[in-house]
Amino acid sequence: MEAQRTDDDPRPIDPNTGKPIGPLAQPGYYQGYRTLDQRKFWDAKTREVVLERVHKVPQFRYFDDRQAALLTAICERVLPQADRDADHKIPIAPQIDKRLYEDRHDGYRYEEMPPDREAFPMALRAIDDMAQAHYGRGFLELRMSEQDELLRSLHDGKPIAGHDVWERMPPHRFWLLLVQDCAEAYYAHPWAWDEIGFGGPAYPRAYMRLERGEPEPWEKEEKRYEWAPPPGSQSGRYEPVGGQSEHHATPGQGGTH
Amino acid sequence: MKNSPLLGKFRKPDGEPHMLGAMQRLTGSMRKYSEQDEVDYVVVGVGAGGGVLTQRLSRAGFRVVAFDAGPFWDTERDWVSDESGSHKLYWTQKRVTGGTHPLAFGSNNSGQGVGGSTVHWASFTPRLHPSDFQIHTLDGVGVDWPISYSDLKPYYELMELELPVSGPAYFPWGDPHGYAFGPHPMGGVGNALIKGCTNLGIEVSAGGPVAILEGSRADRPHCIYRGFCIQGCKVGAKASTLITHVPDAIRSGAEIRANCMVARVNLGRDGRVRGVTYFDEEGREHTQKARAVVISGYSIETPRLLLNSACPGFENGLANSSDCVGRYLMAQAGNVVLGRFGEPVRMYKAPPAHALTEAFYETDPKRDFARGFAVQTVGPLPIAFAKQMMVAKGAWGWGLRRVMMDYNHWAGFGFLGEILPHAENRVQLADETDGFGLPVAKVTFGLGDNDKKLTDFGVKKTMEIMSAAGAEEVVQEQRYAHLVGAARMGKDPRTSVVDQFGRTHDIPNLFICDGSIMPTQGSANPGLTIMALAARIADYLITQGADIFTSNERSDRISAIRRELAPPDTWGHGMPRIEAPVQPVSS
Amino acid sequence: MTRDLLETGESLPPADDAATLKRDAEMADLHIREGRFQRWLALAAGLSSVLSGLEVSYEHYKGSYSRPVMYTPVILSGTLALAGVAGFFSRRSANTLLPAVSAITLADSVIGFYFHVQGIRRKPGGWRLPVVNIVMGPPIFAPLLFGTSAYLGLVASFLRRGDDGGDVVPRSASKAHWAASLSGMHETIDAGQDLREGRFQQHMVAATILASFLSGFEAAYSHYKNNFRYGVQWTPLIVSPMLMAAGVAALKSKRAAHTVLPAVSALAMLNGSIGFGYHVRGIFRRPGGSKKLLYNIIYGPPVFAPLLFAASGFLGVLASLLRREE
Ligand SMILES: Cc1cc2nc3c(=O)[nH]c(=O)nc-3n(C[C@H](O)[C@H](O)[C@H](O)COP(=O)(O)OP(=O)(O)OC[C@H]3O[C@@H](n4cnc5c(N)ncnc54)[C@H](O)[C@@H]3O)c2cc1C
Ligand code: SF4
Repeated sequence: MEAQRTDDDPRPIDPNTGKPIGPLAQPGYYQGYRTLDQRKFWDAKTREVVLERVHKVPQFRYFDDRQAALLTAICERVLPQADRDADHKIPIAPQIDKRLYEDRHDGYRYEEMPPDREAFPMALRAIDDMAQAHYGRGFLELRMSEQDELLRSLHDGKPIAGHDVWERMPPHRFWLLLVQDCAEAYYAHPWAWDEIGFGGPAYPRAYMRLERGEPEPWEKEEKRYEWAPPPGSQSGRYEPVGGQSEHHATPGQGGTH
Repeated sequence: MKNSPLLGKFRKPDGEPHMLGAMQRLTGSMRKYSEQDEVDYVVVGVGAGGGVLTQRLSRAGFRVVAFDAGPFWDTERDWVSDESGSHKLYWTQKRVTGGTHPLAFGSNNSGQGVGGSTVHWASFTPRLHPSDFQIHTLDGVGVDWPISYSDLKPYYELMELELPVSGPAYFPWGDPHGYAFGPHPMGGVGNALIKGCTNLGIEVSAGGPVAILEGSRADRPHCIYRGFCIQGCKVGAKASTLITHVPDAIRSGAEIRANCMVARVNLGRDGRVRGVTYFDEEGREHTQKARAVVISGYSIETPRLLLNSACPGFENGLANSSDCVGRYLMAQAGNVVLGRFGEPVRMYKAPPAHALTEAFYETDPKRDFARGFAVQTVGPLPIAFAKQMMVAKGAWGWGLRRVMMDYNHWAGFGFLGEILPHAENRVQLADETDGFGLPVAKVTFGLGDNDKKLTDFGVKKTMEIMSAAGAEEVVQEQRYAHLVGAARMGKDPRTSVVDQFGRTHDIPNLFICDGSIMPTQGSANPGLTIMALAARIADYLITQGADIFTSNERSDRISAIRRELAPPDTWGHGMPRIEAPVQPVSS
Repeated sequence: MTRDLLETGESLPPADDAATLKRDAEMADLHIREGRFQRWLALAAGLSSVLSGLEVSYEHYKGSYSRPVMYTPVILSGTLALAGVAGFFSRRSANTLLPAVSAITLADSVIGFYFHVQGIRRKPGGWRLPVVNIVMGPPIFAPLLFGTSAYLGLVASFLRRGDDGGDVVPRSASKAHWAASLSGMHETIDAGQDLREGRFQQHMVAATILASFLSGFEAAYSHYKNNFRYGVQWTPLIVSPMLMAAGVAALKSKRAAHTVLPAVSALAMLNGSIGFGYHVRGIFRRPGGSKKLLYNIIYGPPVFAPLLFAASGFLGVLASLLRREE
């Protein structure tokens, strides 16, 4: 499927030809690798949990329609999936909705942050208002590059349009909460594991090739291809999350050792 | 082999006995005490400290009820080999965090449920160094412990057999010693650490010390290198008190009362505690009478419980005449250093914990700070890695997708730096309450000058090692790990909460037995030390016998170490090991 | 001529070097054909036992000696090594100590095999995951391979020594020999007789086939674990079936026993030696290399495994030199 591309084509491109890549059933360097094919080798409980994640996409229950649409659009910028075909998009916003609906959180909040259940609705409104103030249109009506620009200003800790919400809630803290939630939903999905070549659940069947990154017999060797983010997007660069004065330093969120 | 297991599916979780790991079954029944029974000991929290203590006390014949706010896990039915599905292992009730360097909790810090944080620890189990017990004398920073390394050494040795700890035959740092269980093979990350260190001429320990079985032992199989340690080891290869000590506690007559949140420790008119008030699973309030109470709830929940138990005579919190409850909270600087390699690494294989160096552990007069740090392997799974990239590289959007597609090319090292105790780093009560109406903990944390210098230096060194291993790109994220302190032990009742045996200075039959009693932390992971302290506290309580319940006299009498209290599976496995006499600490 | 040599060897006039060499070779050949190589086989059993003892001690170290029974092969291999050396020097030891230790070791290796099978079954997934659990569990055939040196020791105990003199049927050997006195069974004595006189080619060929299968299997899965990263890792998988085939041929045909068998056996020995070189190199090329030598020996390519593979070739060569059973 190859359409004429415009500046707003959200798909990544092949940097050599400039042609858009996708939509694909499986992006990434491990073509044909499917963790789900291995599900018979997982224990019963794990199989149940992972398959439910794949087959039962939660309905929106916490957010109203407008909020849900807004959150979905934001998630599409924070973790874009334009290179995935319609059948293989990984639901992100519904997982965030589910978490908030069930009032699940990570066991803490920063003292200058409201509880997650309040932070999200506040931020959604603020983002939409910022779009109105800066571009004269709602966030949903913005072009991809404008959406990216707006979100990037949160990433940088310098919202492009002032909003009283950001006085009550440090933008970088909300930003990290949002990115973290998106990453949590996306990289919990077996299709994302296929994309990055992660082995997935490994009990009772273990790994046996521990060294030198050798693939297991059922894993695939990497076959890299070149790609670049769509030219209109602003999220391909790596810049430190802004707004972190020493007094608002953000520690890592994941447990390791 | 291609698409299904040879002899049919893996076990359905129904109709099977309670499993603790792939082989250990919990059979027999558990003793149940009624609320009217005045038991000998109530233990609050069955984690690293509480698990070992409960096992010891019940083996010695005391009547013990041990509470845990979380579930009594069945590892087959409750745990998954999946990152996102493992949230329930962590303490996810509300906490508020702040200060100049706020700490992150959740999956990053403490556990909930029988086994406590040892359910999801990586299980690095180094000992503290002899110098750690007297950093004030040696370096003029922090405080000295009321005990010395030699007091704890026999307990370290015993715990290393009970868990057991696998490691090299000769471990050169601190008090040099060997391990009775052989080292583990390397995964890609361990290889990177070894390569980086040896290229720089830094000594490195391969294959441990880590509380993971390398050969199967009794009813626990050995590690299968699946790398999901932090999600709970379904295999049962990684030690947690849930599988190492709790089964023996139950066999010896302890009751483990799971899903019960202790709300308050109750004080009698005689100035002695008489039991606890708790909420059961349905939120109903109960009390349990006891002749003595031990709190083992982790460095946040322990001070929170004491503060929540404020009562006439102890308006600032139970046992808090020193105003030290909640203070001197410590975490280690736990920055993660990540390096991208040209060749694939696949760091999700092998346990995250399998190699480390303590070559920079001790104070070096050539540096401009006191104390030191360790460097260890870590093996973040995709979600944890994505969060690291979010912080370390500021990745989002396509940038995040791209770096994640390179997940298999990255390796991670964990920096572990000693942060000194500061009075301002503390646990207090917040204005908000949890589901039971109990005020939640508010944690304030910040770094001192020495801490910052140490972290800067150490992280740089860790990044150097990563580069020397051949990484093309090296980044790092700031992080803190391993909370200890907040109810510290000491000789002086004015500056500490408990004595060397975990006995509160204020109340003769109230004890604390977990990481909170550590006055300083060194740069070794705390778990083994917490367990060794617990075994020592148990020996003390057993030596004192009924005096604890009846007398307000304080005695320092403790018997020689009681090896016979170890769970029976401890014996008959492993090899003779190298032991060095305790080295005098040189200043 | 050969008979002369055997009988009058001592008194032959000194010859030039080439002639001496030739004479020595013929002598050795003859000794083997006649079963007069007890000393050398005892020594071979002892030395190979040193190797397998080293291997088992670090392999079991990896398993943390988590069962006391895991010490037994370490102790027995040491004892067998001593018994082998003793058997080299003393006829008495060769006929008493050596077979006793060998028999115990052989029994231990069968017991070990049982434990290793159990160990695989105990692993998560057990036999439903045969591939992973064979690769990652206790090496299934290693205990049987460990029995190779014991087997050699046992065979040696039946043989005659080079200086036993010319009598084809040793004096009352059937009574003197421990096996005979133990069992008193005639079959044993007959078989013993065959052995003593070097007439056990087919027997030895069968042992070759077995050893080659076991060590080939071990090579197969450990190289599979390694993802056959180097092409040369396939070679033992090719040579081992070749040796087995040559063995089968040699069982049927005397000709094959004298042609294909020694050729392929030599190939296996060569392959094992090259493999040994690669394994040593592999150890040094691991992260940390020589600075982490002990660790790398333990967790690098198993250094002695190729030599055990070569040992199956050695059995083949030995077999080809023997006489066939009557
Ligand atoms: C990701 C991660 C990796 C780690 N890796 C290592 C490592 O490699 N090595 C190491 O040594 N340490 C490691 N740790 C730290 C280690 O696990 C902890 O330091 C140690 O377990 C703390 O022991 P504890 O006894 O103080 O508390 P815990 O083990 O946390 O036990 C506390 C228990 O008390 C219960 N509890 C609390 N309050 C109440 C109440 N009011 N009523 C009833 N029950 C209550 C809790 O549910 C919990 O089960 C790691 C931690 C994390 C998070
Ligand atoms: S890597 Fe080993 S210890 Fe860790 S979870 Fe897997 S089997 Fe358990």
